[in-house]
Amino acid sequence: MEHVWDFSAVFSNWYLLLIGLKNTIVLAVVCLVLGLFFGLFVGAARYSGNRLFNWPATAFVEIFRNTPVLVQIMWFFFAFPIISPFDINAFTAAALGLTLNTVAFSSEIYRAGIQSIHKGQWEAAKALGMNYSQQMGRIILPQAVRRMIPAFMNRAVELVKMTSLASVIAYGELMHQAKTISTIEFNPIEMYTSVALIFFILIFPFTLLVQRFEIRSKAKG
Amino acid sequence: MQAGSFIVGYEWDFSVVFRDFDLLLLGLVNTLKVTGLALLFGIPLGLLLALLRLYGNAVLRIPASFLIEFLRTTPPIAQLFWFFFAMPILLGVEIDPFEASVLTFSLQSSAFFAEVFRGGILSIDNGQWEAAKAIGMNRNDTLRRVILPQAVKRMIPAFLERAIELMKTTTLVSTISYADLLYQANTIAQSTYRSLEVFTVAAAMYFVVIFICSLAVQRLEHHLGRTGELTKG
Amino acid sequence: MTEVLKIENLHKSFGDLNVLNGIDLSVAKGDTIVILGASGSGKSTLLRCVNFMEIPSSGRIVLQGKPVGTEKADGINYPEKELTGLRARVGMVFQHFNLFPHMNVKQNVMEGPRTVLKCNQAECARRAEEYLDKVGLGWKAEAFPSQLSGGQQQRVAIARALAMEPEIMLFDEATSALDPELVGEVLETMKELADEGMTMLIVTHELGFAYTVADRVLFLADGKILEQGDPEKVLIHPQQEGTKNFLRGHGSFRLPEPVLD
Repeated sequence: MEHVWDFSAVFSNWYLLLIGLKNTIVLAVVCLVLGLFFGLFVGAARYSGNRLFNWPATAFVEIFRNTPVLVQIMWFFFAFPIISPFDINAFTAAALGLTLNTVAFSSEIYRAGIQSIHKGQWEAAKALGMNYSQQMGRIILPQAVRRMIPAFMNRAVELVKMTSLASVIAYGELMHQAKTISTIEFNPIEMYTSVALIFFILIFPFTLLVQRFEIRSKAKG
Repeated sequence: MQAGSFIVGYEWDFSVVFRDFDLLLLGLVNTLKVTGLALLFGIPLGLLLALLRLYGNAVLRIPASFLIEFLRTTPPIAQLFWFFFAMPILLGVEIDPFEASVLTFSLQSSAFFAEVFRGGILSIDNGQWEAAKAIGMNRNDTLRRVILPQAVKRMIPAFLERAIELMKTTTLVSTISYADLLYQANTIAQSTYRSLEVFTVAAAMYFVVIFICSLAVQRLEHHLGRTGELTKG
Repeated sequence: MTEVLKIENLHKSFGDLNVLNGIDLSVAKGDTIVILGASGSGKSTLLRCVNFMEIPSSGRIVLQGKPVGTEKADGINYPEKELTGLRARVGMVFQHFNLFPHMNVKQNVMEGPRTVLKCNQAECARRAEEYLDKVGLGWKAEAFPSQLSGGQQQRVAIARALAMEPEIMLFDEATSALDPELVGEVLETMKELADEGMTMLIVTHELGFAYTVADRVLFLADGKILEQGDPEKVLIHPQQEGTKNFLRGHGSFRLPEPVLD
């Protein structure tokens, strides 16, 4: 059978898609900002020699890195409300899952970034008489952050893709809006093709940027 | 879902989970089945895509590159829905959740494997190509006999990491009603009203399987690193 | 002669490995002391114990007449704060330069005075200018380390250490990582410092440099001082088999040309 492509229902529902796009971006930005912020502390705790900080941080990171993010989101939506002291809606469940996931991954980026700085840099700073926080703040972090940027950008790309999982618990992001429209308009072909293209257009320029950045920072050495 | 029960105290009851534990195990087997098949098809397809992207003429290279980038930059759930809901109508074929899952994840992972292959091949020193050329080998032989054997060794950790990522991503198949571990958990949770226990146990099962794999990858990386077969580039 | 540094019965071990087995050394102001020895003899560790990059296992370091650390029943306690303050007074130059790649040459030299000594901007700038000129690299102030040759990088590293106006300078194989044609400029800079009366402890393999510049040469083997004395005595008329073997292994050494006259 021959399918006649018809995108009119996609365009006539542009407003619903726009809301979905907005919700996708809101979810991604919230999780990215919170994730990078708290990731620094978890990363520092993992780097610390003190077991009181090190062990819980390691357990946290391993749990979130070694379980599927969809399971995390489902857990926060279906299981967590039973013991939660506050109300959980689709947004909070998705935001909790994706934020904690981002915390776990970004803490590893911080850690790896700091570890990638040559020992000689610590030594030179130490030999000048700097204390630990001066060594870290003036010498190590400024160099490490530059190396971390491509990894953070990759993480951001992954995060935008992962926000689509919130559709499973009916948070009205782009994927969920597409699903709804395709059910009403009976146009799964056009609708799912369009939503894939929207994600591609949203993310691809960013991945090009990451690649450029990686090449540039590699050339710099 | 009443809030505040945290303060009141919640009585955990895992008995329902263990009564239906065989269903969860069946789900885990299905998860591994989809993952395994996707690997089986995805790796050779990835090699093909990598070679097309690296050495194909423009007619082959550009579509291959586009396919790789498209599959890498769109959410897997969008791909799965496209293959399950859109493609059958478009092509007039019938496809069940299992087939759609294997198809989606084979293609999806092939794009990532293609990039691993490409990175591995490019990481081999140019001197190896020149040495092979100097003894009169053509490009195909050089690739097959000299470059790939070295590249594959370096790529093993990246492959395994990708395989673990794949296993995590296959949880999506639950959204099109394929009975993987997450789907089974969801079903049991709905029938027993014990979501907390069921989802926690399911998450723990994922954790055990994936954590063991991650540890194995780390050990292998360590081992390869020590024997000098893995040079970080 | 005022004694700048005294090392008493210094031991250092890493796990089961004893690297230093009782070193005694007295360094007077203006002394240039060259430490020789095969790899693994402990010469770098000795240097690194002086500014506490490594914490000695036992023994004492006395700087300007004042012992470092506080004596406790179970050994000497070294509070981190005291060590930080001590390192600010002891300059160190590393084999691999370890310049800060995210700062230009001037910023590298200003970093210590600024962050550690809390000098004001004008004073930091003055020091950077003065010490970069001293190593002949004032004209490279705005360059980044990656744009410099190895020899230039090492001279910047020397200026960075000098900008702290240290009481003693440590050179840990400062020329070992350099291409042969770049070694001369760094040794020349070091010689000028020695001539100006800087107190220096130098670990090196450059025997010619040791012969012409050192006031005293120590030969280390198995974490002990096997032989020491003026360069003539240790390098030309060594008494110990170990020293003789080491010198034989290095063949005949040539004196750097400009030093002869």
